[in-house]
Amino acid sequence: MKIGIPQSLLYEYYYLFWKTYFEELGFEVVTTPPTTKGIIDKGVKLSVPEICVPIKVYIGHVATLLEEDVDYIFVPRFVSIKKGQFFCPKFMGLPDMLRYSIEGIEEKLLMPSISTKSDNIAEAFKDPKLFQGKLNIGMKDNKRAVEKAEKIWLDFRTNSKKGYSCKEAAEITVGNVGKEECVPLNKEEVNLTIGLIGYVYNVYDAFISMDIVNKLRNMGVSIKTFEMLEDDEINKELKDMSKTLFWTFSDKLLAAGYHFYKNEEVDGLIHVTAFGCGPDSMLGKLLELDSPLYNKPFMTVRIDEHSGENHLQTRIEAFVDMLKRKKINVQRGA
Amino acid sequence: MKVSFPYMGTTVVYKKLLELLGHEVIVPPKPSQRTINLGVKYSPEFACFPLKVIMGSYIEAIEKGAEVIITSGGHGPCRAGFYEKVHSKILQAENHDVEFIVFDSMFRNFKGFFRNIYRIKQNNSWYKVSQSLLFVYNMIKKLDILEKEVETIRAYEIRKGETTRAWEKIQDLFDKASTKKELEGAFNKGTQLLREIKQEKVHDSNKIRIGIVGEIYVVMEASINMKIEEILGSLGAEVERSQYLSQWINYNVTPKFINRTHEMEILKKGEKYIPIPIGGHAKQTVGHIVDFNERGFDGVIHLMPFACLPELVSQSIIPKITEELGIPVLTLAIDEQAGTANSLTRIEAFLDLIQGKKSKKIS
Repeated sequence: MKIGIPQSLLYEYYYLFWKTYFEELGFEVVTTPPTTKGIIDKGVKLSVPEICVPIKVYIGHVATLLEEDVDYIFVPRFVSIKKGQFFCPKFMGLPDMLRYSIEGIEEKLLMPSISTKSDNIAEAFKDPKLFQGKLNIGMKDNKRAVEKAEKIWLDFRTNSKKGYSCKEAAEITVGNVGKEECVPLNKEEVNLTIGLIGYVYNVYDAFISMDIVNKLRNMGVSIKTFEMLEDDEINKELKDMSKTLFWTFSDKLLAAGYHFYKNEEVDGLIHVTAFGCGPDSMLGKLLELDSPLYNKPFMTVRIDEHSGENHLQTRIEAFVDMLKRKKINVQRGA
Repeated sequence: MKVSFPYMGTTVVYKKLLELLGHEVIVPPKPSQRTINLGVKYSPEFACFPLKVIMGSYIEAIEKGAEVIITSGGHGPCRAGFYEKVHSKILQAENHDVEFIVFDSMFRNFKGFFRNIYRIKQNNSWYKVSQSLLFVYNMIKKLDILEKEVETIRAYEIRKGETTRAWEKIQDLFDKASTKKELEGAFNKGTQLLREIKQEKVHDSNKIRIGIVGEIYVVMEASINMKIEEILGSLGAEVERSQYLSQWINYNVTPKFINRTHEMEILKKGEKYIPIPIGGHAKQTVGHIVDFNERGFDGVIHLMPFACLPELVSQSIIPKITEELGIPVLTLAIDEQAGTANSLTRIEAFLDLIQGKKSKKIS
């Protein structure tokens, strides 16, 4: 039996978990290729015009899987991965949007509701009723698969915290690539570090973000992202706030932002956000207002389905040049 | 302490409650183009429209001398729960010295809730507080009864605008009432005012009834939703909203296990389309559409602020509901780009369509 997983949204963060889990249970896992113009176009046609681009991309990936010969499409309903917090409403209603906007898709959808206490989602998968009877899984097999998936996912997170990008961390974890072959994002030769604030589905989707990670890398800049931080470092920032954002990943981004502001190694921040992203409109403004307090430059890069690569190149080049000059001036004591 | 609050719907009631407790109340001016401009200037570009309007209305209230702002909080998943944090941060950055008293859900943070109550209570006795709350609750209920009538009568008034004028007069009457007896008097006077309005006789089968659903702020606040109820009324359609203040209070104040309010039924009706609450009023929106359909309404207008997170989900599902149930739904996204003429044309066309459908059914 084939299970399709769209390469979009939280794929980068949880793919290893899902793949290991399903393969351990004897299913074949099919993923979509990285986002292309064609995939986005399919998504745009099937979604309401105002919705943010990551959701359009996701719907495009699902439509691509529909054309392929898969038995099920895995569309998890992320509700919460921390007590008292939620996901963006669009994540919580994602399966509903899909089953009511694409004809005849409902019986093909696997829509497990994921509601756990931490971002280790293994707990949710222990529930035998998770797939509403659509998959026939024995209790014993399930337990074994969850354990294996959890172990691999935790390895992946450890590698991620060492500074590798999500893709490389995943490759290293499964042993496709040796550690020597990858350079961590935070260890480049030029002495300049940028805190890159953005969700995994924006930053690591080379089409949406126009590969900002490699663009910065090619300029010899080190990058730090939120998933490289230890949980303690994130929680430390959140503890001081009277009220935090109630979307877990946005909360992590906000904490990462303040961590980068306070971290002396980081020279400036780039916030990668999608057009119409609700949570980002709030956290972006908070970080922007605080940028003068910490005396660190902050830039917002807003992306949507209209690609125009040159403006991005120019803007990040200018930003990096500015940071370099600032740094030299400081060193000279000016 | 000069207190103010966000402007939404029939503001007399908030004003009354705070006045009864002995506060000096600064009512923010009704949202105008200036309010919106101010709000847009200081708010994040992609924040939802209610945040921007409320931002502008806070600034106007501060200009009038407000020192403390009382507002509601929340814990997501919709952005509204975080408004106050963004508002206070922006106001701080603009050097406005104002304090916020935020009411988060009392079931979540009991201590904080009561600390706030104590601050607003001042030196009043608990008896006085409960009396005032009861009084205001009665007032809200009575106002809602009259408003529902206004929404029906407006469709058939002979002299255009008469009902709206009467409604303004009624709100004024209620504003002046501060004892039980006066409230009763205001209610009776209001009923009479409405009865005096001359109405056209329209046969029941020719009546058009439209439901308005969507995000609470744009549904309740007429000054930012192009006065949609008046537009629909002037085009000869009866209107009923999905949100009334009294319903909102009933639903939010009753603990979950004894909650048997109308809203619970609505939520059940939405279950099929959105199984879990996803924040804002998305689930209510689909539930209300199903409900309006069951009650024989002719059409539904769905209002949402531009890029509202939960309503985007309901907007995605609505075409399917229309297909399954056959009730026409028009979605209008509202933001600072008013474009009233555009929306007006769309509403007129929508009503024409409904009328056409109706006459076809009869012949």
